[in-house]
Amino acid sequence: MKSTRALILAFLALLFAWVGQVAIGYIQVGRLEPVLNEETNYTEPPVPSGLAQTGARVFASEGCIECHSLSVRGPIGSSDLTRGWGQRRSVPRDYLFREPALVGFSRIGPDLSNIGERIKDPAEMTMHLYDPRQRKPASTCPPHPWLFEKRIAGPKTENDALPLTPINWKQTVPSYSAKALVAYLQSLNLNYALPEAPLK
Amino acid sequence: MTSSSAPYSKASSASLVLLGGSIFWSLLAGGLQIISTIQLLIPLLSRLLPISFFSYGRLVPASTFLLTYGWIGSGLLGALLILAPRISGIPFRYGRFLIGGALLWHLAVLIGFTQILWEGSTGLLSLPYSRSVTAVFFVSFLILGTGITRGLGGAWKSGPLLPRLYLLGALLAFPLGLGTAEIILRHSVAPGSVQIITQLVWHSFFNHLWLTPLALVLLFQLIPSLTGRAVSSLPLGLLAWLATFTLGGWLSNSLASDGPVPAWMQSAGVIATLLFFVAALGNGVLIKPLLEGKMDEIRRNVALRFLSVGAWAYVSAYAWLAFLSFPGVRQTTAFTMVSSATQTLLCFGFLGCVLTGSIYALLPASRNVGWPSHPALTWHFWCTTLGLAITASSYALAGIFQGLAWSDPGVPLSTISSYLRPFLCTALVGQGLWLVGQIAFSALFFSTILKLFPTTAPWAVFPTSIPNHPDAMQETHS
Repeated sequence: MKSTRALILAFLALLFAWVGQVAIGYIQVGRLEPVLNEETNYTEPPVPSGLAQTGARVFASEGCIECHSLSVRGPIGSSDLTRGWGQRRSVPRDYLFREPALVGFSRIGPDLSNIGERIKDPAEMTMHLYDPRQRKPASTCPPHPWLFEKRIAGPKTENDALPLTPINWKQTVPSYSAKALVAYLQSLNLNYALPEAPLK
Repeated sequence: MTSSSAPYSKASSASLVLLGGSIFWSLLAGGLQIISTIQLLIPLLSRLLPISFFSYGRLVPASTFLLTYGWIGSGLLGALLILAPRISGIPFRYGRFLIGGALLWHLAVLIGFTQILWEGSTGLLSLPYSRSVTAVFFVSFLILGTGITRGLGGAWKSGPLLPRLYLLGALLAFPLGLGTAEIILRHSVAPGSVQIITQLVWHSFFNHLWLTPLALVLLFQLIPSLTGRAVSSLPLGLLAWLATFTLGGWLSNSLASDGPVPAWMQSAGVIATLLFFVAALGNGVLIKPLLEGKMDEIRRNVALRFLSVGAWAYVSAYAWLAFLSFPGVRQTTAFTMVSSATQTLLCFGFLGCVLTGSIYALLPASRNVGWPSHPALTWHFWCTTLGLAITASSYALAGIFQGLAWSDPGVPLSTISSYLRPFLCTALVGQGLWLVGQIAFSALFFSTILKLFPTTAPWAVFPTSIPNHPDAMQETHS
């Protein structure tokens, strides 16, 4: 076999994978658009706020994806839905505005696709990040104290300070990264219907 | 020997930089992997040491990055820098550029590793580092790849064909895959749904179209040379090569169970995985006769031992992937620890053993040195193979139990975690054994390079009544 012929063959074989998946994938799911909810007049999936988009990067950098997936699997009656991780399965349209778009490959903890619906109180979620065992004593999730700042407590505690007893007159306040991460987690909500994935 | 290796000396310095760094990264990665397993086993540890760069979420991507890019990636490139000019008989020129390329590769690994630990990973599959690291990898690969391509020779009128074909494909796959993944994932405004597909494609390119073919180059070049036998069927080899490169890019789709990937792609992924296993089986059929009836030689020759284990692990890893891709199995085992079992089989079993065997076979030829200790060779082999067998089987069983428990909504999360503990304990033992073996290997490697001890095993062959320098081996090294 001549080297040029081998080169062309190898190139074509590799191109087959790219064209077959990325190009056709782009045509099939890259052109999906959000759907207008006529009741609320909002589009779905909703466009996340700037803070939530920053939070998506914090989520990635903290390696949350090593233990939590972001994909609810169907069909109706499946384990994911029965466990209450969502009211429907995840579909490509759900990921339209995700940046970075993560799915995950391991579940040491629960799926987080719908965590915004399960934990609605941002303060509770912030507390979970600081010390997961305060919320769930058996949790194996590691604490993330580096996402919080210790500040001297004034006569009045700050609004977003954690409800902990100040030590050495210092209160625990979430940093910008922690707030962004909470905003991102709150934005993870599959509680809307799509034409290809109606709510159960 | 000295005269034949002289024209290759510049390239061998570059390969030494790559191999030395590769072994260092493997030790670091092995250590980090053990720490992360302990954290999973004892969650209290992360509460006692709440440091960002010590968290499970950063240690896991850091160790995976070091294992793939640091240990396997640089190691395979280093071994190929020794091998490529010996396939074609054309020595490298501009050796300093190659040394520069090798140093750049390690620089990229160092920056990537530091970034993942201090700032965190990007979360993207097989692309956990920043754009600047991609740029350094590209420049380094351009230099090293050009050198290796030159070593391949232009006209393939004589010499082995299959290693050249795999090398050619792998050298194309890396820049094509990384370049397009980088553009689509970080430089364009591709919607999230397309980004997921791109990540899966790049993950496939990286593992099955770059690392796997590089290891196959070494297998198809070194086993025939060490056993003195030729591959029996070239058409079968060509078919397996074509199937590898046509299907390899589709394999990761079978990882996506339901979710955000179109159903037809998942089905295509399953078919590709099954056919890829057939291709791997085809390569296995080609390799088997080369080793048949050579048990005595395999026992004596550590290089051949590792290459044989690597060949077995190659077929086993793709058989395992094919098994996991079956719809019923995939539904149960997706998002479980079976992915760690696959990584162990592929990375530690196939790629790692082929790399180690190649170093044992090629380094004496490259540097005109021998190995100083027989017991260390034995320790290395048994610790590595036992370690990877224990780790892979522990993760496989853990993943299956985990998957079965996940599919029963009545089983709470804390119970599933407790199911995993015994398997994590045995996996930890396996990882520890592997690290002990790797420490023995690094001691052998660096003491050989620095010539600290007199040579007792010139070709990594145990002494018997049969001569230590088989003719076949002489052919390889000349």
